Amino acid sequence: MVVIPDSCFVIPSSFDIRASSFIGLMETRYRAFSISRILAITLNTLTELTRLRVFYVLLVFALLLIGSSIFMAQFSFQQEFQILKDVSLGAISIFTSLLAIVATARLLPQDIEDRTVYTILAKPVPRFEYVLGKITGVLLLLAISTLVMSAAFLAVLYLREQAVIHATLRQMVGAPPEQLADALREIRSSALNIDIFPGIIIIYLKACLLAALTLFVSTFATTNIFTIVVMVFIYFIGHLQATAREYWLQEHSSGLLTRVFLAIVALLFPDLQAFNLVDDIVAGTAISLALFIKTALLGIFYTTMYTLLAAFVFYGKEL
Amino acid sequence: MTDSPRRLVTPESGGGGGRAEASPAVAVQRLTKIFPVPLHPARGIVAVKDLNLRIEAGEVFGLLGPNGSGKSTTLKMILGLVSPTRGRTEIFGRDSRLVESREAVGFLPENPYFYKYLSGEETLRFFGRLCGLRGARLKERINELLELVGLTRARKRRLGTYSKGMLQRIGLAQALIHDPRLVVLDEPTAGVDPAGSREIRDLILDLKRRGITVLLSSHLLAQAQEICDRVGILADGVLVREGHLRELIAIENQTELVIADASPQLVSEIESVINRSNAKLIERRKSTTTLERLFLEATKNDKRMTKSE
Ligand SMILES: Nc1ncnc2c1ncn2[C@@H]1O[C@H](COP(=O)(O)OP(=O)(O)OP(=O)(O)O)[C@@H](O)[C@H]1O
Ligand SMILES: [Mg+2]
Repeated sequence: MVVIPDSCFVIPSSFDIRASSFIGLMETRYRAFSISRILAITLNTLTELTRLRVFYVLLVFALLLIGSSIFMAQFSFQQEFQILKDVSLGAISIFTSLLAIVATARLLPQDIEDRTVYTILAKPVPRFEYVLGKITGVLLLLAISTLVMSAAFLAVLYLREQAVIHATLRQMVGAPPEQLADALREIRSSALNIDIFPGIIIIYLKACLLAALTLFVSTFATTNIFTIVVMVFIYFIGHLQATAREYWLQEHSSGLLTRVFLAIVALLFPDLQAFNLVDDIVAGTAISLALFIKTALLGIFYTTMYTLLAAFVFYGKEL
Repeated sequence: MTDSPRRLVTPESGGGGGRAEASPAVAVQRLTKIFPVPLHPARGIVAVKDLNLRIEAGEVFGLLGPNGSGKSTTLKMILGLVSPTRGRTEIFGRDSRLVESREAVGFLPENPYFYKYLSGEETLRFFGRLCGLRGARLKERINELLELVGLTRARKRRLGTYSKGMLQRIGLAQALIHDPRLVVLDEPTAGVDPAGSREIRDLILDLKRRGITVLLSSHLLAQAQEICDRVGILADGVLVREGHLRELIAIENQTELVIADASPQLVSEIESVINRSNAKLIERRKSTTTLERLFLEATKNDKRMTKSE
């Protein structure tokens, strides 16, 4: 029988002496802003999400990847690479978005419900740092997930490319070297497209934006379900609004009132379609550096703004 | 900041705080909290009303009162977790609304609940980091506190598997991690078994001996009586009594004698002496042990048996 001694406070007689080595403990001056405090909350958030096993989403991604490559064996290699990129990048986009919403929705409400937030804020931790630590924890989680999924996708793409190259080499034994080189170049160019990387960065930034927006919504939502439903709603509106706006502007003259209305809609429902560069990339259209920077800045701007809004609401919140 | 070597405060200096500090540990002025009722803005719940309180450094102060009398709300306002409707609170002279006022404070909330997915050790590390501790110093401090609250063997276990009393202990350790000058405990012995609550009592007395100010809430009066220098009694958010415990509960004109091995003759002799004087014997009874002492003795024997197995 194991006896856990949870009922014996040992107050060592030497406690006073030992504690006196901590006389200098509080002499470190209080700092109004502390990276190490934020980092503690960030890492704690990451630990929480990891131990909640949110990374299982990545397994689903892996299964999807394997499943689709089996299914694709019947196509020509151009089609195969095309579909592989389409499916993988689409899945990365959806999975990071989903992860961003689901992982963030419960972060603050759960802490408030469990009253863990009392224990944290009773320490010298500004509320702003608490919110910042939470969101950076999610952003880190999203970064890890995006990296893992991208690595898996690129690995599969590389393996398929090698397989196609080997098959082609076998088929073209004895062909003239120029012809062979042409064939190989064709395979390589249709497999990896260097524009994929900025495309993935934009996917990540879209997820960051969604996480920050979810955090903001969760500061005044009454339940987690509410937050998630609102976010799914925003997700779809955000993807559709660009089309809707074009349609609207065609039908109506672009008067001042219309513009103000559309600006408000754009603030509440960020134009998520603008973050969908991968469609073009997969189709083979190169994206300009200017477009990439513009979209990236838009993502960073939205993420920062929603985080600040979340911190602001949380600051005035009665816990 | 803490230039006064507070550990030099000797036990003899008593409850009033040996070394007079410029500002009290806690000062509460005309504190009022009205919780709004949703959909009825005119009707609010008055949780605390016009509360004035001053707790000197080195004191053990007990905030007593029935359920819903506003104890927890008061403590939360002192810690800046709930904003007062009116009035102000200060900790060591610094407004509770400022984050740095919490620098030298340890807080144990009522029914504490921490991150289930962290182990006891990780929990203390997390809270230590929030207080600016790190490295070898933090490690040493974690070991010390785990030892102090008797959770050394459960340090690697996740808090999700802890019992209520163990959670209370880790909560206490967390409150003490940065060696605060003021410790605020909201019902520290709730859910803890009698042996555990006696250990918490000893711990509080130990804190007091080291000159640390303790503010605790409780509705267990017997316990408060054992440890508090001063108490305040809240009823419906109003402080109805406040003062030194000894003065509050002493019955000035009565004296108790407890005699062991007295023969019946001795007792009747004493009684006749009393009767001859102009004093009056009010009560005479056999001493009994308390249920607490009985419980402690019985369970202590149990433990010895399991250990010898
Ligand atoms: N967040 C809140 N919203 C509305 N009313 C509240 C809130 N918190 C507390 N109250 C009310 O304030 C009053 C005081 O509550 P408080 O928790 O301070 O009591 P307490 O003395 O700590 O009681 P207990 O001994 O049960 O812990 C109660 O009537 C309670 O219903
Ligand atoms: Mg309470």
